Amino acid sequence: MKFSLHLFLLICLSLTEARHTLFSLPDSLVSEVRIMQLRRDMVSRIRYPDALPSLLDLMNEQSSTKFDPDPLFIESLTDERLFENPILYINCDELPNFEFSVEENEALRRYMELGGFVYLDAGIKASFLGSDLGHSYAAWEERDEVREWFGQIFPEKSFTPLARNHEIFRTFYKGLPDNEYLRLEEDQKRLPDTVLTFVEQEKWPQGTYSLVGIKVKERLACLASPICAMGWGRDEFGAWIPPISFRVRESAENFDETLQVASFAGQTFEVTREDGLKDEIYLLPGQRPLWVKEPTGRWRIFKYYSGEEISNYAHSFYARLGMNVFLYALLN
Amino acid sequence: MRVIKEWLILYVFAGHLFLLAQESNNSSPVFQESNLSQFPKEVPARSTIDGTLNQAARKIKSNNLQERVGAAKLLGKYPGAQAGLLLIGALDDTSELVRRAALVSLVEHFNNGSPVYEQALAEKIFSKLADPDVEVRREVSALIPRLVPGLMRSGMERIQVNGRTVFRSIPGRLREDLQRIVENGLLDPDSIVRQNVLKHHYPLRIQINPQTFGKLLGDKDSAVLLIALDQLRMYATLPGILPKVESLTLHPDIGVRSKLAKVALSIGRSFPEYRKVLRKMTNDDEDEIATLAAVDLARLGEGVSPEMIERIIQYLSQSRGLYGKAENLFYSLSVLGRDASRIYQSLLKHPSASMRAKAWERHLSMQEGWNSPALWIPALEDRDLQVRETVLALVRGRVEKIGEDDLRLLIRHNQGDVRALAAELLLVADEEVVEECYFDLLIDDQSLVRSTTLRALANLRFKDWVILHSRSLNDDDYSIQRAAMDGLLTDRTMGVPELIEYVRKYPAERISSLAKIELQRIGINP
Repeated sequence: MKFSLHLFLLICLSLTEARHTLFSLPDSLVSEVRIMQLRRDMVSRIRYPDALPSLLDLMNEQSSTKFDPDPLFIESLTDERLFENPILYINCDELPNFEFSVEENEALRRYMELGGFVYLDAGIKASFLGSDLGHSYAAWEERDEVREWFGQIFPEKSFTPLARNHEIFRTFYKGLPDNEYLRLEEDQKRLPDTVLTFVEQEKWPQGTYSLVGIKVKERLACLASPICAMGWGRDEFGAWIPPISFRVRESAENFDETLQVASFAGQTFEVTREDGLKDEIYLLPGQRPLWVKEPTGRWRIFKYYSGEEISNYAHSFYARLGMNVFLYALLN
Repeated sequence: MRVIKEWLILYVFAGHLFLLAQESNNSSPVFQESNLSQFPKEVPARSTIDGTLNQAARKIKSNNLQERVGAAKLLGKYPGAQAGLLLIGALDDTSELVRRAALVSLVEHFNNGSPVYEQALAEKIFSKLADPDVEVRREVSALIPRLVPGLMRSGMERIQVNGRTVFRSIPGRLREDLQRIVENGLLDPDSIVRQNVLKHHYPLRIQINPQTFGKLLGDKDSAVLLIALDQLRMYATLPGILPKVESLTLHPDIGVRSKLAKVALSIGRSFPEYRKVLRKMTNDDEDEIATLAAVDLARLGEGVSPEMIERIIQYLSQSRGLYGKAENLFYSLSVLGRDASRIYQSLLKHPSASMRAKAWERHLSMQEGWNSPALWIPALEDRDLQVRETVLALVRGRVEKIGEDDLRLLIRHNQGDVRALAAELLLVADEEVVEECYFDLLIDDQSLVRSTTLRALANLRFKDWVILHSRSLNDDDYSIQRAAMDGLLTDRTMGVPELIEYVRKYPAERISSLAKIELQRIGINP
C-alpha cells in the first residue's frame, strides 16, 4: 500500500538533489520542500486557510518527506522566489480574476519548462455552479477561465483528462480509505450503503478522481482538479474541518419515465463526463441540482448526504488524493 | 362576426392541409430513406407540481417497494407542506430503504428552506432516533439541531384560579418518551449517533446523568470523547467525573490529551481542583502535551521549572514550523515573562522561516534589541525575505544610534531593502560617519537606496546637499528626481530657488510639471 519509508526517503533525497540544479535551492533548504501558494489579494478571499498547512503537516506525519508546513505565499508570478521552489499551488476560487500580465505568463511558462509543477485546485468547476463556492462538481474538463489563461501560456497545448490508471492515483495511497484508516471499529458503517456503492463504483473508483493536466516535455507539469482543499483542513486536535456532504446519483424503478415528466421549472446545463459525452443537469435556482439525464438515456436523481461519517470519509479521500498529487509532483 | 367565422374556417382548413402534407411527406419512400424522415422523438410533456405530487402520493403507498423508494426520493425535490407530510408518513414504512429515502428527502426539504416547525411532526421525525436501522438513526441524530425549534416550542394554557381565568406560559419541553430515546441515543451502539446526540443534547434540555456522562468520557471512539470534553464544564462538579477526567491524562490519543489540556485550563479557572489534571499532564511523555500543560498552568499563575523550559525549547526546535499546536504554544509563551526570552533565542536558527521571523520579533522586543545593532544585524543575514522584512519593520524608526562599522555592514549587504535601511540610518549616525558612508549609498545600483539616501541627506542638511539635489534633478530615474525635488522644497532659502531655476531651465522635464504644482502650493509661481 505504501512505499517503504526508507526507500521513499532515499528517492526524495536524490530528487531534492536533482531539483537543486533546476531551482538553485539555497543549501540550507535542500532538506525541506516549500510549497508556494499564489494569493493575489492576500487577505480577502482565503476560503480554506487551514487546508494547505494541514495537508503539509499530514504529509510530514505520514511520509518521510520534509515539507515546510508554512506555504510560501507569492502575489505575483514574476516573484523571483518562484524559481526557488518546485511546486506552485493555486486555489482558483481564491483568485479575484484570471488576469495575468504577459511577464507573469512568460514566467509561468519558463517555470513549467524548467521542471516546476503547477497544481490548479478548483481548476475544474462546472459552469452551473457560477460563483457558488459551497459545493463542487467533478466535471471532466478545466474551467473556461483556466482554459483561456493557459491558452495564452501554452497556445499549442491543451488540458487532457488523466486516465484512471494514472500513477498519480497510487503514488503514496492506493484505493479508498478503509475502516482501519478511518479509525473506525470493524463493525461500524463507513458510509450509508447506497452512498458507499456509488462512491466505490462511480464517484471515486479505486480512489481516483476527475483530473486534467498539461504535459511539458513529456512530464505532467500542470494539474487541474475540482476543489480539493475543502477536504484538507484539520483543527488543532486533529478533527477534520469544515463539514463536507456528498452528492450521489440514485435511481429507482421507472425513474427514466418519472423524471422525464416530473414537474420542473428551472434550467438545464450540460457537463462533460469522463467519456467525453455530456450529462444534462436539471437545476432550480437557489437549490442544489435536482437530477441528471445521462447520455445513455438513463435518468437519475441527485441525493445529498451529510453527517460526521460522510465528512470524515470525504476529508480522508481528499487528503489522500492531495498527498498523492504533491508527492507525485515531487517524484516526477 | 361573420368575417371572423370565415377566417376561422379558412384557418382550420389550412391546418388540415398542412397536416395532410406532413403525412404525405412521411409516407414518401424517398423521404423515409433519408435520416430526415426521423422526426425527433416526442418529449413527453412535463407534469404540474400537483400532478407530480399526486402521482408520488399514490406511489408512496404502493405495494411495490421500489415504487415507494422512488416516490420518497422524488418527493425530496418538492419542498413544501404536502410533500413533507407524505414523507413523514413514510417514516413508518416497514422497509428501511423507504424510511432512509424519506429521511434524506426531508433533510433536503430543510436545506431548501422548508423546515418542519409543527411540534407533532417534528416529534414524529425525532422519534425515529429509536429506529432499528442505523442509517435512519444517523440521519435523525444529524437533524436534531434543525428539529429543535419545532420540538421545544413553548405554549400557553388557560386555567382557573379562584374562579378567575388566568393564562400562563408552558415552557418548551421534550416529551417524556422522547427524553428516554435521547438517553438511549447517548449510548447508541453506533458512534456517529452517540456523537450527534451528545453534541445536541443541551438544546433539548436534557441533563445527562453522571453515570452516562462518565461512560461517554470513557468512550472508545475518540470523536465522541472530544465532544464529551467539550461539554465537560456542565458536568464538571458531578460525582465521579473528576477521576474519569484524570484517567484521560493517560489516553493513548494525543489529540484527546491535547484537548484535555485545553479544557482543563478553561475549567481550572472556575474549579481549582481541575488544575491537578494539568499538573499531572506536565509529566506526559510527549513534549507537546507536557509543555502545553505547563504553559497553561503558568497562565493560571503557577511557575514553570527550568527543566520544563528545556522541554519547551526541545519541542519547538523539533516542530516543523509555526503551525498548529506549536503555534499555539509559541503564542502562549508570553505568560512566562522573562523566562520566555531564552526560548525565543533558541529558535533564531529554526528551519522554518515563519518560526524564525516570530522568534526574532519576540527576541528583539523583549530586550528592546533595536537599541543594540549587534543584536538585530545578524537577523538581516537570514536567507528568507519574511525574516528580514519582520526585523526591518521592527527596527525601522526605533534605532537611536549606529556606528560606522555597523553601518558599513548594512551598506555592504546584498539585499536592497537592508541597504535602504542603512540609508535611513544616516539620520542617527554621527556627522563624520555620514560623511564616510553616504557616497557608497548614493552610487547604489538600486534607486530605492539612492532616493532614500537623498532624503536622509536633505533631512540632515548635510553640507553641499543643495548642490547634490539640484544635480539629482537631472537623473534619469524619476524616483531620484522626486526625492531631489522633495528635498529642495523643504528649504525655502536655498533649495526652493534652485528648484525654480531648474523648472525655468527645463520646463519640459517630467519632474518640472510636478515641481510647478508643488511650488504653486507654497505660493510661488515659477
